[in-house]
Amino acid sequence: MNQAKRQINAWTFVAPSLILTLIFGVYPIFWALKYMFYDYQGFGEPLYIGLDNFERLFRDKEFWHSVVNTFIYAGGKLLITLPLSFILAVILNRALKGRQLLRAIYFLPTVISASVMAIVFYVIFNSYNGMVNQLLVGSGIVSAPIDWLGPKYALLTAIIIAIWGAVGNYMLLFIAGLQNIPEDLYEAASLDGAGPLRKMWSITVPMLGPVLQMIIMLAITVSLKGYESIMVLTEGGPYGKTEVMYLYLYKLFFPVSSGGTSIQQFGYGSAVGFATAVIVGLITLIYFYVSKKLNDIY
Amino acid sequence: MIKKQWLLAGTSLLLAGSLAACSSADENTEANGETAAASGQTKLVYWSIDRHDSDFIEQKISEYEGLHPEIDIELKVMAENYAQSVDIAFSSKQAPDILRVDTGNVPTWVKKGYLESFDSYMSEEMKSRFENVLINEKNTVEGKVYTLPNIGQFWRLIYNVDLFEQAGITEPPTTLAEMVEDAKKITEAGKSSGAYGFAGNFKSSSGFERIAYPITTLSKNTGTEGFDFQTGQFDFGMYKEVAEALRQIEQDGSMLPGSESLDIDPLRAQFAQGKIGMYFNHSVEPSVYKTQFPTEVRWAAALPPTIDGTQNGASQVIAGSYLAMSKDSEHKEEAWKFIEWLYSDEVQVAYQEGGYGVSVIPSVAAVAKAPDIPGIEHFLPTSYDGIYPATPIVITEGRLEGMKKVDVFNRYIFGGGDLDKELEDLNARYNAALEKAKAAGDTTIEAQPDFDAGALQKSLADK
Repeated sequence: MNQAKRQINAWTFVAPSLILTLIFGVYPIFWALKYMFYDYQGFGEPLYIGLDNFERLFRDKEFWHSVVNTFIYAGGKLLITLPLSFILAVILNRALKGRQLLRAIYFLPTVISASVMAIVFYVIFNSYNGMVNQLLVGSGIVSAPIDWLGPKYALLTAIIIAIWGAVGNYMLLFIAGLQNIPEDLYEAASLDGAGPLRKMWSITVPMLGPVLQMIIMLAITVSLKGYESIMVLTEGGPYGKTEVMYLYLYKLFFPVSSGGTSIQQFGYGSAVGFATAVIVGLITLIYFYVSKKLNDIY
Repeated sequence: MIKKQWLLAGTSLLLAGSLAACSSADENTEANGETAAASGQTKLVYWSIDRHDSDFIEQKISEYEGLHPEIDIELKVMAENYAQSVDIAFSSKQAPDILRVDTGNVPTWVKKGYLESFDSYMSEEMKSRFENVLINEKNTVEGKVYTLPNIGQFWRLIYNVDLFEQAGITEPPTTLAEMVEDAKKITEAGKSSGAYGFAGNFKSSSGFERIAYPITTLSKNTGTEGFDFQTGQFDFGMYKEVAEALRQIEQDGSMLPGSESLDIDPLRAQFAQGKIGMYFNHSVEPSVYKTQFPTEVRWAAALPPTIDGTQNGASQVIAGSYLAMSKDSEHKEEAWKFIEWLYSDEVQVAYQEGGYGVSVIPSVAAVAKAPDIPGIEHFLPTSYDGIYPATPIVITEGRLEGMKKVDVFNRYIFGGGDLDKELEDLNARYNAALEKAKAAGDTTIEAQPDFDAGALQKSLADK
């Protein structure tokens, strides 16, 4: 096969996905980049307003409140999810009877839709007849039902649900990483008299370095962008207490309002979309810089 | 190498196949259209958001198709995000011929170029049937008719008679103070069974409105939806007393726990189980308790209480829009004939008598009997119900900066704070957004200095 033919073959295969990516991936980005300088509600002539949308963004307390909520939500989720899924992965990577079944059980939440999950958790956590409260009150741990979806605890409840949904997924990624570590390293360490903790710290963690870096990066971006279960569970309420960045953004494009009557804010939404992308991008960059060491150890 | 290429080719085909599968629905629609065309029929597509009456509408469509064998009508009952589905349908040239429109969407959809005016299609007789119920920016935009009303939502205080009696209360509250007091008594008497005096579906963006609008429109004569028609400005101070009463109910512990994260259906489920003393909703409730949440509870409904017991205004009836016709339809004449038939007294009388809603069309209301549904008698039009002019609330919230009114009121009810300061800030932000909307030509609603909601009394019924 000559070079030209090879090129044609390669481009033939690449072309469909490239065209679709350009249409559905790249074009909307340029669309948003344009409209963030416009006042546009989806009808009438878009009005060029320069940087007005960004001025509004900087004084928009609701948006910055949603950014803070996002950090609490993502931070809380990651702090529990990553260590927990790592420990589970280490346990389920061993020759344990029924480990395949356990892996499947832990992974199950990943394949259930976030919205369905949120509805089920609403039934479990609601204050008036939720199972969690019935258990807590029934066993005498608390005297009155806890308002899990109220202003005080709603974000915590959202974090608990997020952890439940994510642990299995990251566990599986960790297992994939663990299985790439050559067994003879552990054997050699055992001959040198290393205990389980020593092996974990001196072999498992360093050897997992690059995989760990990718898993944490994925976890950070996914957590910062997560909003689906919160949308179903609380719609960002009560009064903005569980509003996260991407839910705030979603509502500007697909407003939730009484009777289904509402107007999109495409112009301002595009500006918020740009800002959220910059925030997530910056955090990812900082993370890459800080986590360089993880990659070097290998 | 060859093996790899086959693998790649196979994967590409699979992906292409999955993409084709995504568009299968449209192909089916087209195919159906072709079948209809092949048999000499005209196909009309009709989008609705009403699930509760879909059986009735399907039955009427069959009846109409029987009368007009040349017409084939496909009804699609859409799910949530209806407005977005309509946007997508129009931008991709797949819009239905006939579509259900909500009151607040009428001006926007006209501006987006979706709707065909009814003016050139309506007969003089039809114009006269509706001439007294047409409202600017609900039915008409810049003088042209785009939709006509059919039924209205009549708002009431719905209460559990058993819980009221258990607490020693004989009558539903007629003032806000009584409502707060009754909620307290019911909670005290119902503690052992886990019953609470009051509940609201505050998770929904309409949660606060469902309580505040009926009470305030019946109590005051200046406006609704936060809009003061007399000044042409937003003045959320009209809801101060209601917000304070709800805050009191919350502080008294008389509000069903978790109300701030409650949707309407879980609320109804709790009411059906006898856990809620009272709440506010509209004329759909009797059919809900007949079919969706059958209940043993003895319940009734009453006119909303007022701030001090006097009824200076008229309880807001949500009505105004129903069917609209697509500007892109290739079969406008045929679509109009069907729309005209659905709006006929014959169909609308059957609609009310079947229990699907309470009509606001004067010629229908005059002859239709009350449907055979327990409790509907509490929701029939009274002299204290009235349909208000359109307000610019939807168009204003499209340009609003900061927190919407519903979140501000919910925050006060469940968290407290300085209500006067909150109201001042709300008014400033909403009026600034209104100015922008006006400047952009999005609304033509102006002040009506002589507006008096009291004059709406007796507009729908004499008693």
